[in-house]
Amino acid sequence: MKKKIASLLLSATTAAMIFSGCGSAATQTPAQSDTQTTKQEATEQSNAEQKDDGGSSEAASDKAAQAIADRKAKAEKDGKYEKVVIAFFDWTGRPAGLDRINEALSAYTEETLGLDVELMIIDSAAYGEDMKLMLSSGEQVDLFSTCILGYNPSINNGYVLDLEEDGMFDDYCSGIKEKIRADYLDACRVGGVLYGTPPIKDYAIETAAVCVGQEYLDAIGYDVTALPTGELGYPKATWDDINDIFTQLHAQFPDKYVMAIQDNELTQGSSVDNIAGDYFGTLLDPQNSLKIEDVYASDTFKEWAQRAYDWNQAGFISQDALTDTTGASAKVKSGAYMAMMACSKPGYKTQISGECGRDMVVFDVGESFMSSSSVSSFPWCVNQNTEDPVATIQVLNALYTDSTIETLMCWGQEGKEFKVNSDGTISYADGVDANNSEYYPNVLWLMPNPYVTYVWEGDPLDLGQQIADFNDNCTCKSKALGFTWDNTDYASEYTALKNAYDEFGPKVVYGFVDPETGIAELEQALKAAGLDDYMAGKQAALDAWAAENGIN
Amino acid sequence: MKNKRKNFKRYIPLYVMAFPGLLYLFINNYLPLPGLILAFKKFNAKKGIYGSPFVGFKNFKYLFATKDAFVITRNTILYNLVFIIVNTIMAIFVAILLAEMTSRIKKAYQSFILLPYMISMVIVSYLVFGFLSTENGFINNSILKPLGMDPVSWYMEKKYWPFILVFVSAWKGVGYNCVIYLASILGIDRSIYESASIDGASKWQQIFKITIPLLKPTIVMLTLLAIGRIFYSDFGLFYQVPQNQGALFSVTNTIDTYVYRGLLELGDMSMSSAAGLYQSLVGFILVLGSNLIVKKIDPDYALF
Repeated sequence: MKKKIASLLLSATTAAMIFSGCGSAATQTPAQSDTQTTKQEATEQSNAEQKDDGGSSEAASDKAAQAIADRKAKAEKDGKYEKVVIAFFDWTGRPAGLDRINEALSAYTEETLGLDVELMIIDSAAYGEDMKLMLSSGEQVDLFSTCILGYNPSINNGYVLDLEEDGMFDDYCSGIKEKIRADYLDACRVGGVLYGTPPIKDYAIETAAVCVGQEYLDAIGYDVTALPTGELGYPKATWDDINDIFTQLHAQFPDKYVMAIQDNELTQGSSVDNIAGDYFGTLLDPQNSLKIEDVYASDTFKEWAQRAYDWNQAGFISQDALTDTTGASAKVKSGAYMAMMACSKPGYKTQISGECGRDMVVFDVGESFMSSSSVSSFPWCVNQNTEDPVATIQVLNALYTDSTIETLMCWGQEGKEFKVNSDGTISYADGVDANNSEYYPNVLWLMPNPYVTYVWEGDPLDLGQQIADFNDNCTCKSKALGFTWDNTDYASEYTALKNAYDEFGPKVVYGFVDPETGIAELEQALKAAGLDDYMAGKQAALDAWAAENGIN
Repeated sequence: MKNKRKNFKRYIPLYVMAFPGLLYLFINNYLPLPGLILAFKKFNAKKGIYGSPFVGFKNFKYLFATKDAFVITRNTILYNLVFIIVNTIMAIFVAILLAEMTSRIKKAYQSFILLPYMISMVIVSYLVFGFLSTENGFINNSILKPLGMDPVSWYMEKKYWPFILVFVSAWKGVGYNCVIYLASILGIDRSIYESASIDGASKWQQIFKITIPLLKPTIVMLTLLAIGRIFYSDFGLFYQVPQNQGALFSVTNTIDTYVYRGLLELGDMSMSSAAGLYQSLVGFILVLGSNLIVKKIDPDYALF
């Protein structure tokens, strides 16, 4: 009897193990990608024809040319080229036409760089886990984007290569140096070491862009033109204006929710610098002071809490807001919500209208801001395990400078995926759209340099220049730009703080609790979780960094 | 000696049959064991698992350093205790009902009861949300409203959740346990029941005097195994079903969810291994301990 049961149990548990063996990984949701990684669909045509490989000094370009010639000679001898694998993610997984794109890429790079290039495109939901496995198990990935994976965690886990090892960067990356300003490159240094190069994109943001569907504004007869126009060309509004609009919208459409609220009030709605990547200890006045302060005790947070509470009391917010994790733009697209808040930049109206599936009016309520981690949020890195660092880093250089490679990577093949219009912009090739295109990764903001290729129809041809100007003219640039911090020594505090925030923070941010009591509860929990120690640790690291870099 | 060899020969087909299962067990459960060393190191991909520097017990610190340590340990253990008790009683109850059933529809019942076990927790969480949603939920709209009662913000009120979680766990887990009990019941010699009914024993008496006593070894074994996992929590149940709601943390946060939330952004492999090692060590000690107690009371029922 007993034996029988034991064997029954054994088979039952084995069966259970088989069922559950691979289950645990699937239940984990991927890390939310950085909130600032808003999509961007634009490129700069003016650079598209130029193909320059840089070459600031003779010796450097000689070395680069020599490396390419050596590889070609070796390929001649072996009968095959060595391969460099580039990993990044998209929203839908491996595109159907990826093999064709890789062939086209390799055919070109065999000529120009003496090697084959393979793009490895992974679904965004699986990217973080897959990459961690590949990077720690020795599978071939040479170049990869640290988005989702995290730049600091990648460095702390030892996944990435020092780009300046043996003077490699100087010898082979002259093109990158020309394309990216030195201070932006320096912003990616951690402990003085350059581990990655930032994608060329908007590093600054225009905070607090309230986006409302055009049709809803028409229905209440709101005259947008009466408002002044901001620098980005969007109507400049105050929070009073917004509240006025919301009240009218609520009266006109009582069955719809007014605001698709998200936990982005600090990230996208304020100029508080979430220094070193989290809000436990921030710079409240990042332009002028390097003093780490508790943002949750600040007036900025209190103001937002009060605003959200008022909206909630007025019925602008869904009572299920806390549990509904659908993205704000998807909510607006569904037609059940009328407005959302994000941050804007040049070309944002086109982007958000596309995401929300309707014409959106972007009200500019905030100011422009560049946070300390904006440049270094997800640089491109080289795997420390790469077989041929020189080849890999030459590919990295080409990604920033070569329009042919960048066009294939961003848009696919001309005639197959896109066609060039008479005005120089591009659009879908005949008979192709977003749904049946065989190559449309739609992650332009992730690409090393999307401004050496075409721009999509509807965006200005000089978008690249506009973005560069927007970055340069940013009114509030954090003094701590480029500061990064390894918080592994404070991991226990961080874990406790994160849990404390998750417990008491969202209620306040979504306006479900009176700000007075809600903030007091949150503060108490954070203090108990060791906020003061954590902040002191951050401050010490920041002071050391400032002294080292001569910032005061 | 000769006898032994003969026995071995006789068992060869059985060993062959067991081989795939044992191989699976070996690859899945034994090969990764050396990796446990990671819990005492600061992992660095450049240096590899064995080359990374030792840091002693530093990786374990975050599990004990805060006031949350008490809450998460308490939740993990108490919930699991309640789950063990409730799920065992329910499973035996259902198994006996099914065993007594003679109609042909029995197979259908069995499948229906097993069905929830096959459903992913993510889907379960949305089924629960369908009932509990504040604005559109079934309970608020179709039960409380017609009765003239105020709607409840289920995802903000802590007091209901211990009951909801126990209910969901029972609903999901009973089917699987009940299959095991049912198999044991069907393995009981029918002639015992026949002679009992000839002696005039009622159905009630047959259940309490024959079925349950004969089920005891299975119950003890399943319970012992469950105790071994008492420091693990069903991640899906505690993370997905309460929709990761902060307001409910003091009653839903367990060791697994706490570790997950903290390490999601840090991505630190050493600290996750530390948590895993801690959980399995405590589980191992608990299994040995409870087995020892069972052995003291009745050696026949002990696992080993």
